[in-house]
Amino acid sequence: MTTEEKIRILGDAINEGEKDKAVELLKDWSVQSGFKEIIFTVLEPMLIEWGKLWMQGKLSLAHGYLSGKVAEEFYMIASQSEEMLVADKKVKGTIVLGNIEDDFHPLGRRLVHIFAKSAGWNIIDLGNDVPAEIFIENAIKNQAGIIAVSAMMFTTAKNILKIRNELDSQLLSDKIKLAVGGAVFKLRPELVADVGGDGTADNAIDAPALFDSLISKVK
Amino acid sequence: MNSLERVLATIPGIETDYQPFTMLLSLYGASLLKTSAKEYYRNPELWFEGQKAVVDNFDPDILITPFSFPIEAEAFGCELLFFDKYAPNSKKPVITDLSQIKDLTTPDFEKSLPIRFFLKSTTLLANQYGKTKAIASPIHAPSDIPALLMGMEMWIDTLFFHHDKVKEMMEKTTEQFVKLGNELIERGATFLVVPVNFTTAMIITDRIFEMLLPYLEKAFSQIKGPIVIHNGGSKLLPFIDRFAKLPNVIAFVLEPSESFNEARKIIGDNMVLMGNFDGPGFANLTQEKAIEKTLKILNDRKNDKHFIFATSNADIPYETPVETIKAVVHTIRDFKKY
Repeated sequence: MTTEEKIRILGDAINEGEKDKAVELLKDWSVQSGFKEIIFTVLEPMLIEWGKLWMQGKLSLAHGYLSGKVAEEFYMIASQSEEMLVADKKVKGTIVLGNIEDDFHPLGRRLVHIFAKSAGWNIIDLGNDVPAEIFIENAIKNQAGIIAVSAMMFTTAKNILKIRNELDSQLLSDKIKLAVGGAVFKLRPELVADVGGDGTADNAIDAPALFDSLISKVK
Repeated sequence: MNSLERVLATIPGIETDYQPFTMLLSLYGASLLKTSAKEYYRNPELWFEGQKAVVDNFDPDILITPFSFPIEAEAFGCELLFFDKYAPNSKKPVITDLSQIKDLTTPDFEKSLPIRFFLKSTTLLANQYGKTKAIASPIHAPSDIPALLMGMEMWIDTLFFHHDKVKEMMEKTTEQFVKLGNELIERGATFLVVPVNFTTAMIITDRIFEMLLPYLEKAFSQIKGPIVIHNGGSKLLPFIDRFAKLPNVIAFVLEPSESFNEARKIIGDNMVLMGNFDGPGFANLTQEKAIEKTLKILNDRKNDKHFIFATSNADIPYETPVETIKAVVHTIRDFKKY
């Protein structure tokens, strides 16, 4: 079976809502080719392709959710394999990720988690409804160069400004960059500056490129 | 022709004296009164005063009863956050575990504060304007409400993996939809406006949509009046053919980037199309740009007798200059449609 065929079969399984079947397929192929090979040539290219299709409006958020679940489960299985323990790729840095205080819309954050992890970032995911001081505390503790914050609504996005103010008041703005994202930033691009963000990405698939750019500015 | 006649004429496609229009100025009433949205969304009399100010300033053909997804969810127990210049938001999901669905109760209309707000506001608006203007009552689709009660991710997960829980949840939201929808019509709504923020191809797969359709069919068939499907910020066209076949559906409010011509190719020439000026984007427009966008839509629909100019997506922001909205209204009024 060619790599293209594997990508198509995997996509078909996810499209049909068959999460367990998709994970089993990946596991079976990994027995033959190794986890690393399947992650790099099948799973990640499929995620990238689906991300592009989602951006074009050809796939739904539910497709993204299910592909993320498949990836999450398979990464977990792969991470426990001997092959991945010795062949772990170089970590680019640490990102503290979460939904801002009062925000309970985790889907975008979870997709960013998947794509950033695939791209080689160590992710500390704090979950939903995270106050500014918890972001700062975890970034310092884990020596993160980036805090990445998600918000879906205008009213919750404004809480991100508290992180900016904390970073500034603790003189951390050169050491920790603030990435912001979520549906509201696409509708109102001026919000990125209003909440003190150092940058944003239009979607989860573009998030790793944003992180690469931001980490290069850390002093 | 009064506003009501003008709006109703678009259903059979009768020529009107000028282009009928509406705008989502639910929140903006608070801005016109220079009052805080906190009190505005709790006090039906104050909300009604805001809508009277909307009529005095802009005189739209369709008036819209309170539009708030979170307040609808509050009726099921969601806690809200209130703001001075924004519509309320839900604080956190009320369901965090699927086992809690069985304990979810539909609201008691006599006692529920949010339901009483919707109903009293509708009564006040309909009593004052119901004979001369169309009254539209927003009520979210029964398939959308769970996304706010449990969060979008959990609802998507439930739809993929827990079909028994989907049935349990949809039975409760359908019961509420039918009861509230019919009560709004009873109190004077000309039609219901049903936003489908969640139930669109941007959010769910085709298979999930097919699973939800029988629930929507059952819910819509019990409504004693016409239904307008509203984009809710998502694109309608991928599913519009199937929405169009649902009972009582007579019209669609398209999302700003969607093409009326494309919609016509799918659903034909006879259903009413509305839209598609971006409501939330209003605040960032100069008067010139707002007029340009308005004329673009009006010229696109110049020969369409089944068309109502409307803002799409969510509310027009509180801080939008009155002059910008008036510039759009004057452009519509002055437009020679026929």
